[in-house]
Amino acid sequence: MSITHYAKRFGTFTFGFVITLVISSVLGLGPTFGGVCLAADRELMLAIYSVPKEAYENTLIPAFKRHWKQRTGQDIRVRSSYGASGAQARAIIGGFEADVAVLSVEGDVDQIAKAGLITHAWRNGADRGNVSASVVAFGVRKGNPKSIVTWEDLTKPGVEVLYPNPKTSGGAMWDIIAIYGAGLKLADPKQGSAEAQAAALLKRIQKNVKVMDKSGRESVTTFERGVGDVIVTYENELLPRVKSGRPMELVLPAETILIENPAAIVDRHVEKHKVRDIAEAFVAFLHSEEAQRAFAEYDFRTVSALPVGGPPVKAFPQPAHLFTITELGGWDKVASLLFGPQGLWTRTVEELARGK
Amino acid sequence: MRRLFISLVWLYFTVLLIGPIAYLCVQAFGEGLTVFLNEVMRPEAVHGFWLSAEITLIVLLFNIIFGTVTAMVLARQRFWGQTFLSGLIDLPFSVSPVITGFMLILLVGPGTILGTWFGAMGIKILYALPAMILVTLFVTFPFVVRELTPILMAIGTDSEEAARTLGANEWQIFLRVTLPAIRWGMAYGATLTIARAIGEFGAVLVVSGNILQLTQTATLHIYQSYVDFNYVGAYAVAAVLLAVSFLILIVLELVKARSSVMTDRSSQMVSS
Amino acid sequence: MSQHTVTKLALRSAAIGYVLCLILLPLTAIGFQSFEDGLTRFMDDIQQPQAKAALTLTIEAALVATVINALFGTLSAWVLVRYDFPGRAFLNALVDLPFAVPTLVAGIMIAALYGATSPIGAWLNTGGIEVLYNVPGIVLAMLFVTMPFTIRSLQPVLMELEQDQEEAAYTLGATPWQAFWHVTVPSVLPGLLTGVFLTFVRALGEFGSVVIVAGNIPLKTQVAAVYVYGEIESYNPQGATSVSVVVLIVSFLALLLLERLTRPPGQRLPALLQQVFSAQFLVLRSNSKLNSQN
Repeated sequence: MSITHYAKRFGTFTFGFVITLVISSVLGLGPTFGGVCLAADRELMLAIYSVPKEAYENTLIPAFKRHWKQRTGQDIRVRSSYGASGAQARAIIGGFEADVAVLSVEGDVDQIAKAGLITHAWRNGADRGNVSASVVAFGVRKGNPKSIVTWEDLTKPGVEVLYPNPKTSGGAMWDIIAIYGAGLKLADPKQGSAEAQAAALLKRIQKNVKVMDKSGRESVTTFERGVGDVIVTYENELLPRVKSGRPMELVLPAETILIENPAAIVDRHVEKHKVRDIAEAFVAFLHSEEAQRAFAEYDFRTVSALPVGGPPVKAFPQPAHLFTITELGGWDKVASLLFGPQGLWTRTVEELARGK
Repeated sequence: MRRLFISLVWLYFTVLLIGPIAYLCVQAFGEGLTVFLNEVMRPEAVHGFWLSAEITLIVLLFNIIFGTVTAMVLARQRFWGQTFLSGLIDLPFSVSPVITGFMLILLVGPGTILGTWFGAMGIKILYALPAMILVTLFVTFPFVVRELTPILMAIGTDSEEAARTLGANEWQIFLRVTLPAIRWGMAYGATLTIARAIGEFGAVLVVSGNILQLTQTATLHIYQSYVDFNYVGAYAVAAVLLAVSFLILIVLELVKARSSVMTDRSSQMVSS
Repeated sequence: MSQHTVTKLALRSAAIGYVLCLILLPLTAIGFQSFEDGLTRFMDDIQQPQAKAALTLTIEAALVATVINALFGTLSAWVLVRYDFPGRAFLNALVDLPFAVPTLVAGIMIAALYGATSPIGAWLNTGGIEVLYNVPGIVLAMLFVTMPFTIRSLQPVLMELEQDQEEAAYTLGATPWQAFWHVTVPSVLPGLLTGVFLTFVRALGEFGSVVIVAGNIPLKTQVAAVYVYGEIESYNPQGATSVSVVVLIVSFLALLLLERLTRPPGQRLPALLQQVFSAQFLVLRSNSKLNSQN
């Protein structure tokens, strides 16, 4: 049999396959063709930051769909996308029609609001708009061979530090703000201004930073790949890794910041898709006791006080000197102080690159 | 000397190609066949394969049609701006995929004329299938054109002219005379197109929105798995794509072999 | 007008229309965006320490990859064409593999094998060589994706270059060195240059494999494509476009230079590019010549 013979047969088969593919796509049996499909279910589109993927995919979203069905009898479809917080915000501003934005930092939600897509005062909602919380902690290799316990330990020569890039990752912003805040707390009044000492600490730590990944999640991936001695990240990213037997340990520094992650409806899109009711229910659900307990299962700290009398939620260790973003002056002030074009962190990186 | 050279070349190939491929396959099956199959048949993975296939086939269709048209125009016609056109065709080779995706955002994003126009018509381009198809079209365009143009130039227009004088219409001429002569070149270009389309990553990363089970191609799914610490999953799906690459490679070699026979025959046709 | 002329014009409009919409339009969009605020703003953007560092790193790494590719590629082409040995056909087929493998998969493979978690990676690390998240990793990734270029552009030339020509030179009294310089090199040069320049241009834009293998420290291990990606993701389209435009200009200049250097009368760059990718060229040679050699 010649090749031509096989080729002819192959050609007919391919042709038939293509036709089937096109028809089934149009009919919605395969991936939808940009909207042309027969499905009539209402759809909620979520843009979520990278870190809590398991919590949402495995528990929260299925639970919400059940609740909605119970309440209204409707079956709904929930689409979700996970990526670096800043990247998701950018995508929404750039046209990604998410109905709800679940992000890592309030600054990213503000960006969406500034672009006119969120028109309600989202901070006036329950728990100031936040649905989950965590703290900044260290991840170290099993046995903590380099004895990393305090922020100062991160400045020691030969210690490689990891955290993501604050330009894309909300988590990285939290990490760096934590360093700065810790520096303020640790400052010795006899050695000059607290701000200067905090800036110095930031610089000494940044000097030891080897890799800055795009998102919090990717940063932990890099650490797992064997890079670095210590990773600065969310406590809730580290705990599951440790629990599942990965060769790493969690170290909670005495001074650290309370991370709070917001979730907000994107008004422009819920109006367009006519899913405001579903979106509002989803965000309300995230604040509910059931969701908060679920977050705790995934090693998040809760944002709202849980009602008395229910089963106790696991206790998280309390850092001796926990501080919040409000104490530091609020998100906007701190963000521009550190990450603006003349920001402390921005300048630190440039100075280090120039060898100063 | 000869031994040394051959060994060096083997070393080069091993370090660069054979080593990484072998290690990937080993790691993909590192936790056993069941785990491998589970990973490869997960809904997200299956969707990824399906979506990649869909995009590839659509892109292939466009490229075959427009690639042939463009090649015929370039090879046989003389007109003002021809060199410029020819230069444009080669451009996608030198544009980074991330930039490709970015250009589309600049072109049809929400604040732009085109973007608003499409939005008003209810057509979603960015963060949906159309954007992914468009960027893949951009990066795969040169392949078919560059394959067909020299062939068309080589075989000349004598046969077509003859057919024309015998009264055939344009369509008949194309189907009966031109197409048979260029089909192996077309097959080669098509194969390269398929390979490139399946492998597209940077551009779709920027324009897809990475929506699970909606706009995640196979490559995006691999990236998601990798980033979710699901290394075996990433390796498993990557191994599948690698197997597809090998298949493509085999087809490439077969077509090359076939193509020599055709070219010898067609050049005989021309000279006689 | 005859049906023929109508068809010709219709085809021409279709081709021109398609190419303009698909290729020219997006490029003008990016040109517009980067110069929207004027030339000074453009210059400012690329003078940003991070942008400058990304561009320098990318060009340097691409140059290193190009040199290595040129050396080993030439060697490989020579060995594949001139010698016959067990596994030759296998290696020859393998050369096309980087064309077929997705760049992301390439990056994952390289990161897996040469990262700290694999035996080889660990061994390299103890020897002080850190591949991942370092410049060697970037170069390695670039090498992978550009591997076929020099080899495939040299093979046809080497096949065509008859040993007879060299022998003829000897009989006319040339030394081996003279034969090499005056016979081999001029024939091989256009093919080599094509492969080298294509390698460079391709390496400049590489993203998928580098993003996995390389680190992302601004000013240290961040290549241009990753920098552009970061800028896109952080609401800085100007920064992204300006660096993109620089990379595009460098690529364009490189291709232009290649055309200048390799232009014997009548031969144009598109034709040379076609040779690299063209099936028939290689096969005509390989089937007839190789079987009768060595």
